[in-house]
Amino acid sequence: MEQRGWRLSAEDVRTWVDRLIAEGREVIAPVEGRGPRVFRPLGCAAEACLDPGKTRWSPKEFLFPRTETLYHYRLRADGPELHDPPLAERERVLFGVRPCDAAGLVRLDEVFLDGPVQDPLYARRRELTTVVALACQEAGPECFCTAVGGSPMGTEGVDVLVLPFGADWLVRAVTDKGRALAAESWTRAHAGQWSLAADQVRRVEQRIARAPVAGDVAAVLERRFEDPVWQETARRCVSCSICAYVCPSCSCFDVHHEGDAWGGREIRCWDACTFPLFTRHASGHNPRGGSAARYRQRALHKFAYLLPDAERTTRCVGCGRCIALCPAGIDIHDTVTRTAAGAEGEGADA
Amino acid sequence: MPEVGPLRNPYRPGLLRIETLRDETPDVRTLGLCFVDEQEGRRLGGWEPGQFGEYTVFGAGECVFAIANAAPDDDGGEPPRVECTFRAVGKVTTALRGLGAGSVIGFRGPYGNAFPLAEWRGHDLAFLGGGIGMAALRAALCAVLRHRSDYGEVLVLNGARSVADLVYQEEMPAWAGLDGVRVVRAVDPGGETADWDGEVGLIPEVFERLGLAPDGRIVVACGPPVMLHFLFEALGKLGYSPGQVITTLENKMKCGFGQCGRCNVGSFYVCRDGPVVSWERMQALPADF
Amino acid sequence: MREPLPERPTASDAGPAAPQPGWQPNVVAMVCRWCTYAGADLAGTSRLTYPAAVRLLRFPCTGRMNPMFVVKAFEQGADGVLVSGCHPGDCHYVQGNLHARRRFATFKALMEFVGVDPRRLHFSWVSASEGTKWVRVVEQVTAAVREAGPARPPAGGPDSAPPADAETARRPASAEELQALAERLRRVAGELLEQQTASIVLGYTRGTLPDRAVPGFITRPEQAQQLVWDSGCHHNLSVYLPRTRGGEGKVAAVVKRCDVATVVGLLQERQLRRDELHLIGVQCDGVWEGDRLAARCRACDGTVPALCDVAVAAEGARAQQVAVEPDPRDAAIAHLETLSPDARREYWQGEFERCIRCYACRAVCPLCYCETCIAEKHRPQWISPAIDATGNTAWNLVRAFHLAGRCTGCDACARACPAEIRLDLLNRKLARVVEDRFDYRPGTDPAQAPPLTEFRDDDAEEFIL
Repeated sequence: MEQRGWRLSAEDVRTWVDRLIAEGREVIAPVEGRGPRVFRPLGCAAEACLDPGKTRWSPKEFLFPRTETLYHYRLRADGPELHDPPLAERERVLFGVRPCDAAGLVRLDEVFLDGPVQDPLYARRRELTTVVALACQEAGPECFCTAVGGSPMGTEGVDVLVLPFGADWLVRAVTDKGRALAAESWTRAHAGQWSLAADQVRRVEQRIARAPVAGDVAAVLERRFEDPVWQETARRCVSCSICAYVCPSCSCFDVHHEGDAWGGREIRCWDACTFPLFTRHASGHNPRGGSAARYRQRALHKFAYLLPDAERTTRCVGCGRCIALCPAGIDIHDTVTRTAAGAEGEGADA
Repeated sequence: MPEVGPLRNPYRPGLLRIETLRDETPDVRTLGLCFVDEQEGRRLGGWEPGQFGEYTVFGAGECVFAIANAAPDDDGGEPPRVECTFRAVGKVTTALRGLGAGSVIGFRGPYGNAFPLAEWRGHDLAFLGGGIGMAALRAALCAVLRHRSDYGEVLVLNGARSVADLVYQEEMPAWAGLDGVRVVRAVDPGGETADWDGEVGLIPEVFERLGLAPDGRIVVACGPPVMLHFLFEALGKLGYSPGQVITTLENKMKCGFGQCGRCNVGSFYVCRDGPVVSWERMQALPADF
Repeated sequence: MREPLPERPTASDAGPAAPQPGWQPNVVAMVCRWCTYAGADLAGTSRLTYPAAVRLLRFPCTGRMNPMFVVKAFEQGADGVLVSGCHPGDCHYVQGNLHARRRFATFKALMEFVGVDPRRLHFSWVSASEGTKWVRVVEQVTAAVREAGPARPPAGGPDSAPPADAETARRPASAEELQALAERLRRVAGELLEQQTASIVLGYTRGTLPDRAVPGFITRPEQAQQLVWDSGCHHNLSVYLPRTRGGEGKVAAVVKRCDVATVVGLLQERQLRRDELHLIGVQCDGVWEGDRLAARCRACDGTVPALCDVAVAAEGARAQQVAVEPDPRDAAIAHLETLSPDARREYWQGEFERCIRCYACRAVCPLCYCETCIAEKHRPQWISPAIDATGNTAWNLVRAFHLAGRCTGCDACARACPAEIRLDLLNRKLARVVEDRFDYRPGTDPAQAPPLTEFRDDDAEEFIL
């Protein structure tokens, strides 16, 4: 891995982003405006917000959109006529992504690219996307990337890594795709600067106080399938899907048909295992009819039900958004670590 | 599908025209479907018994059920004909029932695993279907009957709540007419009519009464969860080992290939790792049905 | 399969703002079969002429016309909608139009608040003998819609978000005061469980994040020590009441003044039985999110309502007298109402665009208790699950409207919304419409019926042609 990289001033970074846009790329970065800070396509570099903290939800929607068309159809007198949706054409840069979110994109790849069926819409978007990650300048009380094998300067799923360095930034290409975004004219950084910047991030890392998730968590959780903890914790669950929709690695979806006598489309939209209807059969039978079964499914899908050839031991990347935003204060890290540690659930899981 | 570059759009269905319709019961219908574009049919090639498809009723949505017939053995250039048996329960199946011959629907698949027919060679077989469960077994049964001599004795136990709910009534005489094939029809107590000459009783009871010894016999069963529950109990009593018993699982599905995330039982995705599963494997799955 | 039609009509798909030459407005008229339909028929048989812009949809009664139909019509590109039925007193089903009158009065206010041009949505009473009135109404409506021009998606023009809430003069209750209340609360809860008056106490316990209380379910007296009380106890725990069974004992719940209002709503709607509940009212000086006093608390004195079985309040003189301030939500609504319909539409489309359809608004709302929500009914699919402008608008409007006359303004939805959509303003606006028109304030009297389930013969109908 190349350690030298470049040192860019704040002004250089703005020039960089503006150049990427001018070259025809769509640059997507955290933007503050009405509502929470979220990733949005930039009109110009000045719109980006590279302040400490993370966006309200992950940038996964730019690879796995909230809703997209799978095919259109028109009904004609001689039968239906189907059309595939257009594939993405424009190169994209996800800029200022936190390492946890970048790792989340790799979890999506496992679902949409690594299985027996590759999703063409996703594949094309992924191919056109370059990820510029920004190491964390602060850690919230919900953060636990280090507990699941990540780091505030982790490079999983990252093409370019940016570290804060005082008022400046240190930039390093992690992949060839990332190197293609760099400019000839950039000032080289030296190794000493990198270690200083890395020390700074390590201090952020040390503030992450949550216990590591044990390596054998999958086996333990599967053994504790009937543990009362699921019932006790999920009692608070109100069955919304904030946890799944803000999650960088949740990838479940609904396939839905919208149409009438003229035509319509088949769409894919986000869906979540926390909704009762997610698994309900047409007959009315529901294998996960209670919130406890649904919460267990979500926890186990993150920590136990792994894809055969996935590299990590968890699908959870530890961004902690589901904890911070849960309207019932449910904490998946707490549930999982306590359950894995064998703590028997108490009557009230406070 | 040239527009999607090198990867095929996995959601875009092929088009099938409804050729034949047969009402099995008041709410169960079997469709015979042929490809509108023969080329597309040839591309599909075949499928293995036990696999399922996703059927699109344009304007209503997609529904999932087993392909009810066996694919042609060798591809003699003939585009395959797909059959399916479904019950009108939800929005899409009700719409599908509203379609007549000549209507065009969408089809994608085949998905899922298949019955291990190769492993069954030389064994006696028992096909136990409860209600519409028989539809999931029919493809395997057709394949077995086509190569009758490869297998031992074949029992077909086709049960339903009442005589009117019994599927494949038209076909059973032909099955029974084959050498070494025994067809037993059964209805639940109270479901019989005055002239009923089949068995009366629940499938597990009727099977027990038949007194078939387990030795080497493969039991292939599909039906509602409650039937399977009692059937496994009965089979246990008769001395069948879990490895000898095969069933198919059913869960709500959307994508058909393990991505949409709803059909799993533990880490077992019904669409990808199933729907065919041995009783032995089932026992190892978490209780998340 | 229905016989496919050759081409979908393209009357106004994303039409330009300026009408094309020859543009004809597309007006959907939802009419009752007994009066207006017959009236229109009479106009026809009398050879009266009127604009051909209207497309009639025949319904049994205006009472059958769900406002969602209007949302759908606009969603599908109608330039205008006319709802018309029998005059009051003439309804074939006696009261259908009187219910409809209340419903549409409220709905019209909602539509205008989210920026639907008032020239696009009309209501009328036309009897079977009023062929000439029908002609007049259609002419009037068509002219108004023509003036408004072709329906078009929001153009992305300027909008203006409400300014930040005014500063509050209030301060959080002191730590000592909160501590004293928490101790009394624990004692009360412990005794209820000890004496088996209640078999479960819903309260607040310490969460895993600093300074964050979470809902807790206490079933043993010694667990009562886990209960906390501070200015971060913002959850409305009544959402858990209908699904919590007490078994032998009652279900006790820790409630603030605002939470009691939703309990009243649940009692009104028979979702709870008063004799199975034990309400522990706690004096509340307002909940704070960081250094911001929640909007709903500004105009609330936080005293324990009389409906509660037990009041946990400060003993003796209060350290701080709670000063009631104007509700900042009203100021925000007033700001939005100064905007043009187009600017208001831009504003709300901007809000709805962020919606990710997590349905947390519904999930945390104590009064959203339907077994199957309209959003999930698919025969027909009224609300598209597509997380886009169409689906999101339909969902947010229908959610707000379903709570009209019922929402007590606890703001649980707005607080839970990860997209920070101003659901509180939609709800508050409707609450004020209901209060102004029907003199009704939700959450006050368990014996009262919600206003949209009843009517008065003399309900105002100034908006009906």
